[in-house]
Amino acid sequence: MKTNTYVIFNGNSIPFNEGESVAAALLRSGEESLRETRFHGKPRAIFCGIGVCFDCVVAIDGVPNQRACIIECREGMKIESRP
Amino acid sequence: MIAIIGAGPAGLAAAISAAQSGQHVLVLDSAPRMGGQFWRHRDFVKGYRSEKAVEIFESFRKSNSVSHISGASVWSVEKSQDGFLINYLKNGKEECAHCEKLIIATGGYDRALPFPGWDTPGSITAGGAQAMLKGQSLVVGEKIVVAGTGPFLLPVATGLAEAGAQIVGIYEANNPLRWALSPFALLLNLSKFGEFLHYRKLMRRHGIALHFGKIATSFVEGEVSISKVRTRSGGQIIAADAIATGWGFMPDLTIPGIVGCNQKVDRFGNVYCESNWEQRSSINNVWVAGESTGIGGADLALVEGAIAGLSATGARIELRLLLRRWRLRIFAKALQRSYPVPKNWTSWLKPETTICRCEEVPYQSIEDSIRELGAKDSRGVKLFTRCGMGLCQGRTCSRNVSEIVQQITGAEISDAERLAYSNRPVAAPIPLGILGDGKKN
Repeated sequence: MKTNTYVIFNGNSIPFNEGESVAAALLRSGEESLRETRFHGKPRAIFCGIGVCFDCVVAIDGVPNQRACIIECREGMKIESRP
Repeated sequence: MIAIIGAGPAGLAAAISAAQSGQHVLVLDSAPRMGGQFWRHRDFVKGYRSEKAVEIFESFRKSNSVSHISGASVWSVEKSQDGFLINYLKNGKEECAHCEKLIIATGGYDRALPFPGWDTPGSITAGGAQAMLKGQSLVVGEKIVVAGTGPFLLPVATGLAEAGAQIVGIYEANNPLRWALSPFALLLNLSKFGEFLHYRKLMRRHGIALHFGKIATSFVEGEVSISKVRTRSGGQIIAADAIATGWGFMPDLTIPGIVGCNQKVDRFGNVYCESNWEQRSSINNVWVAGESTGIGGADLALVEGAIAGLSATGARIELRLLLRRWRLRIFAKALQRSYPVPKNWTSWLKPETTICRCEEVPYQSIEDSIRELGAKDSRGVKLFTRCGMGLCQGRTCSRNVSEIVQQITGAEISDAERLAYSNRPVAAPIPLGILGDGKKN
């Protein structure tokens, strides 16, 4: 699938396909973790994949704690690994 | 107006049957597209086109009296003078919908058990692996172990293999001979044999071995440990870059709980929402359908949804539907009986194993809170350790914490505790300001 739409993840441009979730776009592009935990700084990616477990939370356009697995990418969306 | 919360099989079936009456039906769902978890597939993902889903989506779209609001996270439901007020967030904004009658079809999610390494990237629930594949065409690893219990492991493993992953093995904790306990359920549902044969064919095609009585007990630095469920012997180390685990499903009972619908505990310790023969809950003008009434799968959810939709509009409920529901419920019970979670599952935990993923609480802290601080139930542990106080509101860990307390103290888990950990006052995270401003439109 070719794409010319991008989101910004921690300052880097990441391509995405129409309708793709934030988590899927980031993992597909080779990112292994989406954030680090608050207390121990451990990497976390996706776990439940359906919006239940909140393990994949990232800040999206400045709003913290957004679930990457259920939010769809939008052109120019700014995603940050922070709580 | 009739409002339906949830656009999975149960919610969609309810909407279509209710719309036959010509009454206005509103379906609210948190996902960007209808279909729920079961029909979340996109047409471009190989092997996941479902004729039934196409048919249902078509009749849903053709109906003039149903409307669908996607991306709506319902966070509470209040009683109003003549019905219910549904509060939800859409695109971060507060919205409200009013209805006279309410059908709740909020589905369920994977039960996950902790093990060393379950909180590292590469470890995912079986349902999560399936969701990424069906919904996003993303395969979660190259070399994947599928473990846990239940027939759901088979479509997950074969789906991933069809998509190009190497499945190192399926590790099913239970023995298939447990089905001997449920001969009647099998006889009534012979078509399930056909499904099994279908998956067996796919497993053969991809050379996937199915091991019984075995569990994955850790996933550390690309190595999965496998051992026998009874003796914990026969330790075997397998290289894999991902592990998908599933231990059955749990209903999401938050919204039925907020509305006040009566809930019960079955003999396997599962909490479910009570419903009568018409799928009515204990609250007037509220119906429940699908996984909320007890885990039973999509076929049962479709029947329950259809019955709820007919009942809500006062239409006649055909005997055919009631018989089908009876037959499928017997099968659902047999699944519970055949695929229990091993009683001694806590024995594979290590002191440093994370139990509450949100608040990063290790097993040791929970054990200390019980042995040294005197915590007697999951609530006590929560107060001492913050276990279950994170963003997921205990959806992932609180049942596990209760069972850890049970293992350590030897005390049975009370029904009150099970009801408490299945319910929460707010169904989706909301900004605090929304609770305060009292805005209603």
